[in-house]
This record gives sequence, structure tokens and C-alpha cells, in this order.
Amino acid sequence: MNLLTLSNELNTYLVIGAMLFGIGFYGLVQRRTFIGMLISAELILSGASVNFMAFNRFLAPNPTVGQIFTLFIMAIAAAEAAIALSIIIAVYRNYKSVDTEDVADLQG
Amino acid sequence: MKLMLFAPELLLLLGSLALFFMTTGKVGGKKARSFTLTLAIANIFLCFACLHNEGMLFFDAYKIDFFSQALKICISLGFAIVLLFSTELKGIKDEVRPEYYLFMLMSTIGLIMMVSSVELLSMFIALELSSYSLYLLVPMREDRAGLRMQMESAIKYIMFGVVATGIMLFGMSYLFGLTGTTYFSELIPAMHGLMGNPAAIVAVVMVLGGFLYKLGVFPLHFWVPDVYQGASNETTAFISSVPKIAAVAMLVRILALVTPEGKSLVTLLMVLSVCSMFYGNLVALVQTDIKRMLGFSGIAHAGYVLLGLITLQDSGYATSLYYITGYLLMNLACFLVICQVAQDGENLAIDDLSGLHQRSPLLALTLAVGMFALAGIPPFVGFMGKFMLLTGALKQGYLLLVILAAINTAISIYYYLSVVRVAYCNSPEQRPEVVVGGITKSVSLALVVIIIALGIAPNQIIQIATDVVRTIQ
Repeated sequence: MNLLTLSNELNTYLVIGAMLFGIGFYGLVQRRTFIGMLISAELILSGASVNFMAFNRFLAPNPTVGQIFTLFIMAIAAAEAAIALSIIIAVYRNYKSVDTEDVADLQG
Repeated sequence: MKLMLFAPELLLLLGSLALFFMTTGKVGGKKARSFTLTLAIANIFLCFACLHNEGMLFFDAYKIDFFSQALKICISLGFAIVLLFSTELKGIKDEVRPEYYLFMLMSTIGLIMMVSSVELLSMFIALELSSYSLYLLVPMREDRAGLRMQMESAIKYIMFGVVATGIMLFGMSYLFGLTGTTYFSELIPAMHGLMGNPAAIVAVVMVLGGFLYKLGVFPLHFWVPDVYQGASNETTAFISSVPKIAAVAMLVRILALVTPEGKSLVTLLMVLSVCSMFYGNLVALVQTDIKRMLGFSGIAHAGYVLLGLITLQDSGYATSLYYITGYLLMNLACFLVICQVAQDGENLAIDDLSGLHQRSPLLALTLAVGMFALAGIPPFVGFMGKFMLLTGALKQGYLLLVILAAINTAISIYYYLSVVRVAYCNSPEQRPEVVVGGITKSVSLALVVIIIALGIAPNQIIQIATDVVRTIQ
């Protein structure tokens, strides 16, 4: 394996995608604030985007599909961030905190 | 003509545009409601008129067939029923009601487009359209008297939802990488050559995850009880019923990718089904809030629905669709009662239903029919659905699974019937009479009649459901 050709191999990008997914998932479990969890969730989405771009570049018969898919993921992620942040603000107004441990009325 | 193929969606889209302009002006909740209700009822008729249309739209990404059209009718019916009985919308402030109806309508559009989409990207977009609208419905509950749990439910709903979406997208990327296509028509033959490949199984499981989340199946169920409890009664009625039909429909479509060789997938779904049933039923036993209890019962019912899917056969898929349609009706019958009994849109404890047969005999009857049907007691639709799901699984040789499911049915009878006992045997004490409007009365009578009719004569519906499922292969 040559380091110089590493950037031209599918596996490199698949590993990056899987790592982003893993880091995002770990962050979601580990983070104690909603903002942190939101950032981690975005990492999961970018992991999927990297995968789409990699498959698109190296394997796909039609090299536009993956790019379009990635563009849509970006748009959806933006919409999701807007909704999540607005709900987080609403949470903060009511609980005066965005910490997961403080926001735990519902149990049982 | 192509326009006729897209007519129901087009009507709803134009309607939502009009509703959007209404939200910018000073239109009260009453006007917005009557507009949305007219739209929903017109949409039911339009869906019936378009029932036998067939065709492809938008570069073959959108398929109009008997499968999609029949499910569109179910979704529109559920939407209209929720609108019909939420006459006063007690839990929502008047000034945000037009927005509330707008988001509910957008969510329905998303679901209706989802059952028609036969391409990964359009499926994803439709799913997100419906989900994001639902996320926004939850925190719109009025926060008088310092009520704040709706915010917590909303944040939990969206956080878990985004993760489920991420998992589904990751699975989609693997599907795309393995096959080089996003169209189901090309994915199905390509996947059949790949069934020995572990990556293919992982990809399908991940894509299924997004819809198992909507359905509330065991490892992705965290949101269910919290959202049910936190959202206003009418919102919960919508969230707990309508999206689940679309979720089952999409599960059927995705499982068609692995039919008939997906043995390893079947084992996984079996485990999920058993876990959902036991978890849902056992935790529901100790609940005091009725909506939370129905949430756990919803998890258990998601487990029952999986019983039909694991057969990987048309007949099994058809029973699953029949069962989830029945679940929509029984669940809506229960929520109709909850919405009427809650005087100010507050959450009800099970004890608040005490003496309901004196306070409102019709509501007590509706509640009893709904609960008996959910418990799976003949002659209601819940019994017939469970019976056919169990016999279908038994024919495939899943004896242990059937025994576990039967045990679960027995457990669930206890908590469903204790609600009926409270409504019929306890004295009402100081609780006031419940006034029920004329429309709500007729809706509840209609629900009772349909629940019984579907349970007594299921053959025709099952036949239709089987025809429906056949069209997707």
C-alpha cells in the first residue's frame, strides 16, 4: 500500500465515513447537552454523505446520483438543525438548562 | 392523463399553500380547522376516485399503483378522523392553531408521498417531510400552569429521530454502493444476487431501522411513551396512528428486497418482535397515565405487526397491513374518548375515567370497544388480526414465537380491561358529565361499527390487502 495513492482508494473514504458514524454515535451517547448531541447527530449524517460521495466516485455507473443524494442530505441536515435548535431554545426557556440530566421530568 | 395520477397530492399541496397564507394573516383556529377538514374529506373522495390509477411519475421515482392508492385512503381516513373528533383542540393556543393544522397537513402529505415513492431519495425526503412536521407538532402544546414536559418530549423525539435517520441514510449509502442504483425496481434483482454478502444484510437492517423507529419497535422505542405523554391529546392521537400505517407499508416495500432468502434478517426481526411485546406489555401494567399506557401498548402492538412481516410472504404482509389498519381504528377510538373526557386538554390518569358509563354512556361504550379490540377479544378487529398473524407465523413453523405472543396477549388483557373496569364499575364521585358534540358522536359510532365489522368479516379486507401487496412485487 502506497501512502501517495491512498487518496485514490475507495476503502480510505469508507473508513472515514464509518469513523464519522462511530464518533457521532459515541458522542450522542456520551454528550450531556442537547447542543453536543445535535453536533454528534450531524457527524452521523456527514458519515453517510462521505460514503455516498465515495461510492459515487469509485463504483457508481452514473456518477451524479451520489452527489445529488449528498446535496439533499445537506439540505435536510440544515432543516433539521433549524428545527432542533428552535426546540432547544424552547427547552431552555422552560427548564433554564440544556443539560440532559436537568431535563428529565418524564420517567416511569 | 398524468395530472390525474398526482391529484390527491396536488390537492393537499395546494391546500397547504392556502393554509400557509392563512397562517400569515389573522385567521382564527375555527376557520383553519374547517378549511383543513374540508380538504381532508375532499381528499378521501379524490383518493377513492384515483384508486385504480396506475402509472409512473417524476423519472420513475414515484409509482402510482393499487398498493399506494389503497394506503393513501387509509392515511387520509386517519387524518380526517383525527380532525373530526378534535373539534376544540383544547391543548393548543388559539393563535398557533393555523400553524398546527398546517404542520399536521404537511405531515399527512409526507406520509402520502412516502407510500408512493419507489426510490431511496424520494422515500427519504417524504419521510423527513412527515417527521419534521411531527417534531414541530409536539412542542406546540399550550404551556399554561407551567406545563413544560412537552418540550422535553419534543427534544427527545427529534434527537432520537435524527439518529434513526442517520442510521437509515448510512444503510442507504451501502445499498447504493453495493448495487449502484437507488431505484427499487433495479435494487430488487441486484439484491437477490447479494444475499450471501453480510454488507447487504447490514445495509437492509439499517434502512429498516428508520421505519422501525416510526413504528416504535423495541431498541428504537425510547421516544414512544415520553412523546405520548408530553404531546397534547390530539397530537398524540395523530402520532400514534397515522404514521404507523406508512411505516408498515415501507417496511413491506423494503423487505421485498430480501424476499424470499432473508433468513438471518428473520431471526433479528423475531428477537425484536419478542422484545417489543414483552417490554411494552410488562411496563404498561404499572402505568397510571392513560396516554403513557397506550404508548407502551403501541410498542407491544409493533411487536405483533412484525409477526406478519417475518413470514416474508405476501399473505403475512397482507395481515400486517390489515392489523395496522385495525390498530389505527382501535387506537383512534381510545383517543377519541381521551380527547373528549379531558376538559382542558390536560393529561388523564386512568382513574379520571371513573364512572364514565354514567357521565357519557356512548364514550364509555367506545372506550370499551377500543380496549377490548386492543386486547384482542372477539369479535373485534384486534382479535381477528392477532389470530391471523399467529396462524400465519405458525404455518411457517415459528411455534415458540407464537407461544410467546399468545402469553403476551394474555398479559395485555389485564391492563386493557382494568381501564374498562374503571369506566364501568367505579362510581363517578364528583367528576362532571362529559358533553359530546353531534359530529363526535357519529364518529365514535362509526368507529365502533367499523371495528366490529372488520372483525366479523375480515375476508374481503384480507383479499384486498393481498391484492395490494401483490402489486409491489
